[in-house]
Amino acid sequence: MTRGRLPAPFGQHIDRERPVTFTFEGETISGYAGDTVVSALLGEDRWLLSRSFKYHRPRGPLSLAGHDANTLVQTPEAANRLAEELPAEDTPVVTGQNYWGSLDKDRFSLLDRLGRFLPVGFYYRAFFKPQGIWHFWERFIRAAAGLGVANLAVQPTYSDKQYLFCDVAVIGGGPAGLNAALTAAEGGAQVLLVDENPYLGGALTYHRFDTAGTEAGPCLEQLRTAVTAHSGIRVLTDATCNAWFSDHYLPVFQGQRLFKVRARTCVLATGSSEQPVVFRNNDLPGILLCSALERLLMHHGVAPEQPLVVLAGNDAAYRTALTALDAGLTVAALVDLRPGANDPALTSALTEQGVPLYTQATVYQAEADASGTRLAAVRVHACSDEGTVGDDLAHIPCGLLAMSAGYMPAYQLACHGGAQLSYHDDRAGFSLSNLPQGMLLAGSVNSLHSLEAVCADGRNAGRAALEQLGLDAGAVEATECSERVNHPWPIFKHPKGREFVDFDEDLQIKDIINSARLGYRDIQLVKRYSTVGMGPSQGRHSALTTARLIARATDRTVSDTGVTTARPPVKPEPLGLIAGRRFHPIRRTSLHDRHLTLGAQMIPAGSWRRPGFYGRPEQRLAAIAREAQAVRSGVGMIDVSTLGGIDLRGPDAAEFLNRIYTYGFLKLPVGRTRYAVLTNEQGVVVDDGVAARLGEDHFYVTATTTGVDRVYRDMLRWNTQWRLELDIANVTSAYAAINVAGPNSRAVLEAAGCDLDLSAAGFPYLACREGQLAGLPVRLLRVGFVGELGFELHVPSLMAATLWDSLMAAGEDYDLQPFGVETQRLLRLEKGHIIVGQDTDGMSHPGEIGLNWAINNKKPFFVGGRSVTILAGQPLKRQLVGFTLGTGAPQPKEGHLVLRDGAIVGNVTSCEYSPTLDRIIGLAYAHPSDSEPGGSITIRTDDGVCVAAEVAALPFYDPDNARQTLCALKQPRPAWPAPCSRWHSRAAATRLWF
Amino acid sequence: MASPLQSLAFEGGGNEALVLRDFRLARRAGVRGPGASDLLTSHGLPADIAPNRISDQSDRGLVMALSQREFWLLHPDAAASSQQPDSAALAAGAWPLYCQHSHAWLMLSGEPKAAMMAKLCGVDLGDGAFPLGQVAQTQMAHVSVVIAHHDYQNEAVFSLFVDQSLAEYAAGALIDAMSEFNQSGI
Repeated sequence: MTRGRLPAPFGQHIDRERPVTFTFEGETISGYAGDTVVSALLGEDRWLLSRSFKYHRPRGPLSLAGHDANTLVQTPEAANRLAEELPAEDTPVVTGQNYWGSLDKDRFSLLDRLGRFLPVGFYYRAFFKPQGIWHFWERFIRAAAGLGVANLAVQPTYSDKQYLFCDVAVIGGGPAGLNAALTAAEGGAQVLLVDENPYLGGALTYHRFDTAGTEAGPCLEQLRTAVTAHSGIRVLTDATCNAWFSDHYLPVFQGQRLFKVRARTCVLATGSSEQPVVFRNNDLPGILLCSALERLLMHHGVAPEQPLVVLAGNDAAYRTALTALDAGLTVAALVDLRPGANDPALTSALTEQGVPLYTQATVYQAEADASGTRLAAVRVHACSDEGTVGDDLAHIPCGLLAMSAGYMPAYQLACHGGAQLSYHDDRAGFSLSNLPQGMLLAGSVNSLHSLEAVCADGRNAGRAALEQLGLDAGAVEATECSERVNHPWPIFKHPKGREFVDFDEDLQIKDIINSARLGYRDIQLVKRYSTVGMGPSQGRHSALTTARLIARATDRTVSDTGVTTARPPVKPEPLGLIAGRRFHPIRRTSLHDRHLTLGAQMIPAGSWRRPGFYGRPEQRLAAIAREAQAVRSGVGMIDVSTLGGIDLRGPDAAEFLNRIYTYGFLKLPVGRTRYAVLTNEQGVVVDDGVAARLGEDHFYVTATTTGVDRVYRDMLRWNTQWRLELDIANVTSAYAAINVAGPNSRAVLEAAGCDLDLSAAGFPYLACREGQLAGLPVRLLRVGFVGELGFELHVPSLMAATLWDSLMAAGEDYDLQPFGVETQRLLRLEKGHIIVGQDTDGMSHPGEIGLNWAINNKKPFFVGGRSVTILAGQPLKRQLVGFTLGTGAPQPKEGHLVLRDGAIVGNVTSCEYSPTLDRIIGLAYAHPSDSEPGGSITIRTDDGVCVAAEVAALPFYDPDNARQTLCALKQPRPAWPAPCSRWHSRAAATRLWF
Repeated sequence: MASPLQSLAFEGGGNEALVLRDFRLARRAGVRGPGASDLLTSHGLPADIAPNRISDQSDRGLVMALSQREFWLLHPDAAASSQQPDSAALAAGAWPLYCQHSHAWLMLSGEPKAAMMAKLCGVDLGDGAFPLGQVAQTQMAHVSVVIAHHDYQNEAVFSLFVDQSLAEYAAGALIDAMSEFNQSGI
């Protein structure tokens, strides 16, 4: 029962003029705008919110701060949502989760009675023997495991990320954080203030800091006004800082956005987590932390009618009782674990209002009502500071129990930065030390609890931040707080158990002690064995109790025992936020529109989009065959703009290439190209291309589409060491490239208008030239990747479309056909040319893939040379071979395995049907003994069908290279201007346009 | 030459809003090499610009230094040069860079441009950290970009230079990021 919502100043967050409704478990719940799902449910006296993870015990709110798993509920969109973080106004349908039957009558609650058969480490111990037993139980356990149900049909929402830059990041908008932010901003710093609550103020919004309850309100008003009005402070509310990373890199999520905060200094004003008292049935709905009750009253104005008992381990709980009395609640008793309050005025204030006090006493057991789902009474016993329990003092009927055993700093972010959390046995308090450079603490995370000290500490943190920024900081205030807030042993073991240490994982006192008895003395091992602290609350309410229990069980102090390490994230975060908005860069050549116009089917090639073939998808094979036929018998052209291009200029350019690539380049004549193979330091082939010498000190090198960035990076890296005199420029995007190939390619170029002698004598195979084609400046390379007479034309990229059009026009009489990447792959395979990355892998060295001819063994050094030499001296373990199959055989696919006596010896790397040869051809790694042409290799194809392929000599097509060389003649070295200085220039005049 | 913005439904907002303009047709060129600064000096242009700075040369455009031996010459109000590029050296140790061909040029203006760019780029582009005249060579939406902060027509703008092949992708990413800032825009 509730008595309706309380009037102001209670219920600060609700708008009483705007009622809202939603359904919970099918039942309509009424509340107000500003209510959370929890506050609205409690407003209707609905306290059973969830079922516990292991025993399916009934659970209600504990912290109301989003710091525990007791309020996890299901919405249609997602499971495991914290009900105190769900606005009632925006959440029309809510249900419970993790039950069989209904939330009120969960059939799985039978497990609570079987607890003795589910000891700590149950899974590790129960399914270890006999071997294989796990597989039997796994299906049942997996069916029962988990809490909510993921909605696999839900549509993902738009999430993105944004960087935020500031001088000072203040995490926590309570009194300490507000003071720190204000002080730093007034000193000239740009401040970001982050708070996980919808309103600034922290404990000022609900907690009573003095007996009369008059300090918090004015302090909050003054600070909130000043902060929100300050132009130097950016406030993020409803935002969670989920980690601290080096150099104050802070992921902060708010709504659908993940902010990546870059701060110069960081003030942690994260507050502290109130600690529960551990006694039998301390998890019954109706038992909550004092701060939770204060939030319920002050934020939402919910006032339960049932009598309240306050269980105090400190003076703050007395103030909770006073607030409850102000709200009209019946305080049936205040039970103090200590001999009495430190502040006598608090005792007087309560006794004057007729509240019975029990000192040096504890709630030893909570009792449920007939339904078993709600607190009905508590049994109070005498106790000592060491946890021993004495006489039965009272049996008090109540529906509400508010407890506070003390506070533990919200130390997670500090620990992410390597800070050390220390416990001081003498005062049962904490301190954080060894903070990283630039991290500051303020407020109760710094173990200060009086309002005056907290505010002063916040201002001091602001000043310290200014000092670190080199700004005028002002004098530091003295901060002193002698208030002792933690009871040394708020743990009361009961013979019948059910005293919960960890609510998330349903761990009781005996579970923790048994972990120690089983030999897990280290707190980190206890965590992993028992799973304590591994639930959603991440040990906020269990770490201290666990440390105390392990300390006693192992005869150590708590400070010697320590607490478990806190790691990111602080709170569960949606994976969508981590993924953020998806960026998938797509590169298009300057001929992209031309390809689309011609009906190309575009396929990905790295981040590029390239034409696979031209024609309708259903006519793919016919289109590829048509294009291949055109190249073999007439002329075709392909957009090869995606090829990498690197310009190397300078007197040491040849020497540099000689060191980078496997071949020799020192004597490469100007006007000639040479195949360039790149190996890494392990001797593995990582890229290849063509190096064209355009001048004595100028090389233009091509690289593979996906490898050019790496090649460029490696070149820069090596020359950082070698310090050769040259300039290296990645000009990939500056040039487009078109390969015109086929017997009629020369004729097409001549028809397009070329100022170069294109004859076999004037422009032999492997030559390169710079000239004009169709009126455009072009670099021409006579290479033969597809095995025909061919010219690779490199042109400034914005001129590529003009060149393409000119070639298309010039090729009309020769039936010029554009061809795509798929056709090119077929043609090069016929010619036996490898593609690095497709026919090689992370282990392929030149000897395996038949590239020994591209190694210059006479030069003193090249990158990977030593490794290549060593590998060459060892027996081959596999070899890339060509193979053929008849057209009736199943066609192997790339990746299919090559077997020898049933063992895997290699795999297929390329395989196509060749219309030119009317056979299936391919490349595969095979055992070296099987590499001789005429032999046979076994390939396991789809469905395990093995085929015997014949090993063939490479190339499959035109083994004499007659077609690509076409009357090659030995040419004299062209006459090029002599260098005019060490930095060669052949410019007659500078041609800057400005 | 097509604008990368052409196929995207984009309209500029008001004075307060962000505006993204395509300057791919504007003139730009580059010079690189150990003789690059001498070449600039011989043309009466400043060669003492520190790397990652951009200098306004009034009617001669902008000179952007990307290193001690690489300079880009930008003229937002001039059409791209019709002169055909030549890969030969411009002077001893100074070679041309085909900026016109290699990089698209987009220009972003509007007060919240730094906040918008923070959705795409990890460099602080706020006035305090990235004042007028600064250049950043960094990443934007997972692709390389050169960002220059300079005045254009009495307004502080960011010039963004991205790989020509990524122009449409980059423009799309920018316009998507701009949507929350431009009430009257997209």
